[in-house]
Amino acid sequence: MYDTIVIGAGIAGMLAAIGRAEAGERVLVLAKGHGATHWAAGCLDLLDIGDGDPLAGVESLIADHPDHPYALAGVDAVQAGAARLRAVCEAGGYPLVGSLRRNLLLPTAVGALRTTCLVPATMAAGDARQLPKEGDGGGPLLIAGFRKLRDFFPPMVAANLRAQGFAAEGAYLALPPSDRTLDFSTVSFARLFDQPAFRADVGRQLRQLVQRGGYSRIGLPAVLGLANATQVVGDLQAAAGALIFEIPTLPASVPGMRLYRMLEAALLRAGGRMQIGAFVQRAEAQGDRLDAIYTEAAAREQRHRAARYILATGGIAGGGVRAVDATTLVETALGLPLRTPNARADWFAARFLNETGHPVFRSGVATDSQLRPLDAAGQVVYQNVAIAGSALAGCDSIREGSLEGIAAATGWMAGRA
Amino acid sequence: MDHIELSLNQSLDHCIKCNVCMSACPVAAVTDMFPGPKSVGPQAQRFRQPGQPVPDDSVDYCSGCRVCNEVCPTGVKIAELNARARAQIVAERGAPLRNKIIGRAGVVGRLSSGPHAPLVNLGLSIKPVRWAIEQVMQIHRAAPLPAASSYTFRSWFKKHQPTGTARKQVVYFHGCSTQYYEPHVGKAAIAVLERNGFEVIIPKQGCCGLPLLSNGDFPAAKGRHMYNVEHLLPYVRRGIPVVGTSTSCTLTLKEEAPELLGLHSQDVKDVAAGTYDIFEFLRNLAEDGELDTNFRPIKRDLPYHPPCQLRAHRIGRPVLDVLGLVPGLHLAESHADCCGIAGTYGLKKEKYQIGMDVGAKLFAFVKGADSDLALCDSETCRWQISHGTGIVTKHPIEILAEAYGEG
Repeated sequence: MYDTIVIGAGIAGMLAAIGRAEAGERVLVLAKGHGATHWAAGCLDLLDIGDGDPLAGVESLIADHPDHPYALAGVDAVQAGAARLRAVCEAGGYPLVGSLRRNLLLPTAVGALRTTCLVPATMAAGDARQLPKEGDGGGPLLIAGFRKLRDFFPPMVAANLRAQGFAAEGAYLALPPSDRTLDFSTVSFARLFDQPAFRADVGRQLRQLVQRGGYSRIGLPAVLGLANATQVVGDLQAAAGALIFEIPTLPASVPGMRLYRMLEAALLRAGGRMQIGAFVQRAEAQGDRLDAIYTEAAAREQRHRAARYILATGGIAGGGVRAVDATTLVETALGLPLRTPNARADWFAARFLNETGHPVFRSGVATDSQLRPLDAAGQVVYQNVAIAGSALAGCDSIREGSLEGIAAATGWMAGRA
Repeated sequence: MDHIELSLNQSLDHCIKCNVCMSACPVAAVTDMFPGPKSVGPQAQRFRQPGQPVPDDSVDYCSGCRVCNEVCPTGVKIAELNARARAQIVAERGAPLRNKIIGRAGVVGRLSSGPHAPLVNLGLSIKPVRWAIEQVMQIHRAAPLPAASSYTFRSWFKKHQPTGTARKQVVYFHGCSTQYYEPHVGKAAIAVLERNGFEVIIPKQGCCGLPLLSNGDFPAAKGRHMYNVEHLLPYVRRGIPVVGTSTSCTLTLKEEAPELLGLHSQDVKDVAAGTYDIFEFLRNLAEDGELDTNFRPIKRDLPYHPPCQLRAHRIGRPVLDVLGLVPGLHLAESHADCCGIAGTYGLKKEKYQIGMDVGAKLFAFVKGADSDLALCDSETCRWQISHGTGIVTKHPIEILAEAYGEG
């Protein structure tokens, strides 16, 4: 019997679990696998309003959309949640930098610029406002990578940055000798960068490139170490004599894995338990209290019981909300009522890339101000359940650029014992 | 197309190529020989068509630890895809003699245990003998082979006098390791079950077939499983649960054999549904308020590794839940992926070093725990942990028996 069971091991679920475990509760996290963290860039996106003040954007969003998760949370929770995530990363020796009052613009792996807010220090030097422009006269920007790393093409990244007016060049590095020769992933590169000899070799190559090309900054794929990225980047900068920044890759995201590891370590330190590979498939209630939940297991289900449950399973992208047929969306773990568009015809906008997005992605669980789930009549379904993160109705968090901001704010709220 | 076939094919389509399994696989992390779960599983599966030759042998370097299944966010049964792919290779080309022998744990155990066991053990401790075995059999000279017991568990049980008064009945599935190598694990299980008011029944039983499954010999594994179903079914039908101390045997009875072999008769399903890992069973008793919690305090801090096969039951950490009730006893969970042995994988000459490299994180954890004793639910993992650390490794049931004053 636990005090709290959290379903989902993304930022929302983990911050909720950490908060309650640190308050002395017996906490269990159930998650179907790794996901939310490993799929994302490992940054905190607060709100995509371009190069501006995202917290002010949150304030006006709250005023315009009282049903949005940010409105439920309030600005104080948004700030507290972000501060909590920063504290976890700080404790892991991997600080997040930036300000809720100013967005950053960082290059992606195709050379576009993306808006984000708090980023690992290993990415900070990529902020577009600091990158050299064509005709500035300063040293250009170098984008470098390895041919063995799939889906990261330095010449293409550089060409797209040039098209936006930046002075950028691309180069492939030689693969330093190692015990690996056949197959490489983002994670195998990260493990190699954790080895001092490997990164020393890369550092020497970068130094030569800097001496020849006069580069002031170097962008590398975000594979610069799994265990100790801060030191890896420091070592590379010292060797190269230029500022280094990481550019997020396709999944599995190494910065996302670092974030997951720090969240997991914080929970375990606080005495919490984790059970990965656990699909919550149904729930049992007594009146307006959730009594037990069941996870899929070999030969029979496993029953779990707690005084309180926190649902942080994500939205449609994360698998917390699913379409089971052409007209029906369900909340997958507890079978809670969803706030969704009324009819299938209202799920999608007319054009695939419609600027307003598709209404179906705003589907989720509607809640009261304590994050307790509500039914269509606005009545609390279960008194002892809270919803956090993208499972909440009323946001299209990926489109809004609010994914981690909502997760941190509502995860922090659900974690207040 | 049977149920499992369907779910495997569908699970193929559930793969979104997110590479989470590739990033978690403990084997791909240490060797180039294994490209990773996504590559040999959902991706290569597209090229494995009936009547066509197997496109790639690297799937044989999958250890079957199931960490990929554990972390997959979309529920793809990667390890099962790999096990079936290996079986297809074996069906096409046959298996080496070595795999045929180590796949038959029961036969090997029966030949080595008994009064002559000290001689067998002495022989296996001589370096030139192990060198010769490596040359002939391709079993690595340093790999951890268990010491055979001078008596079998069943021979002890025949003479055993039950203690206390029994109110309920339970079937004990001892498996090959308890029968031939570690009868003391079975004795501890009997003591714990009898202490809780059970009459323990030990019907005829054979090897669960897991070593055959993991070496790709599905036809032989099917024979083993149906033999056990036949002998366990009469008890299961009477509502008597089957419990086992070998967590890989109980997983095989519950899921591995039915799923991999496509066995879905009601008999097979009933035996699966009636089978429990022993700590899962004891935790259920505790949740129902029926576990005898009159424990002697044991003031110890012990490192505990929940093995892959236990994690594959997807039942959490029943050992932590039950042993957490013993006053003074504190277990530190390893959070290591795998010990590297993966049943028979780490015994093989070409895979021994991979197994040791996979286990390195666990070995460091156990050595760093400042304890002369470690705990683990799976026998081959216990042997590997002791091999990698020099530290005695016991089944958690032995500590529980001790807490009852029966150790």
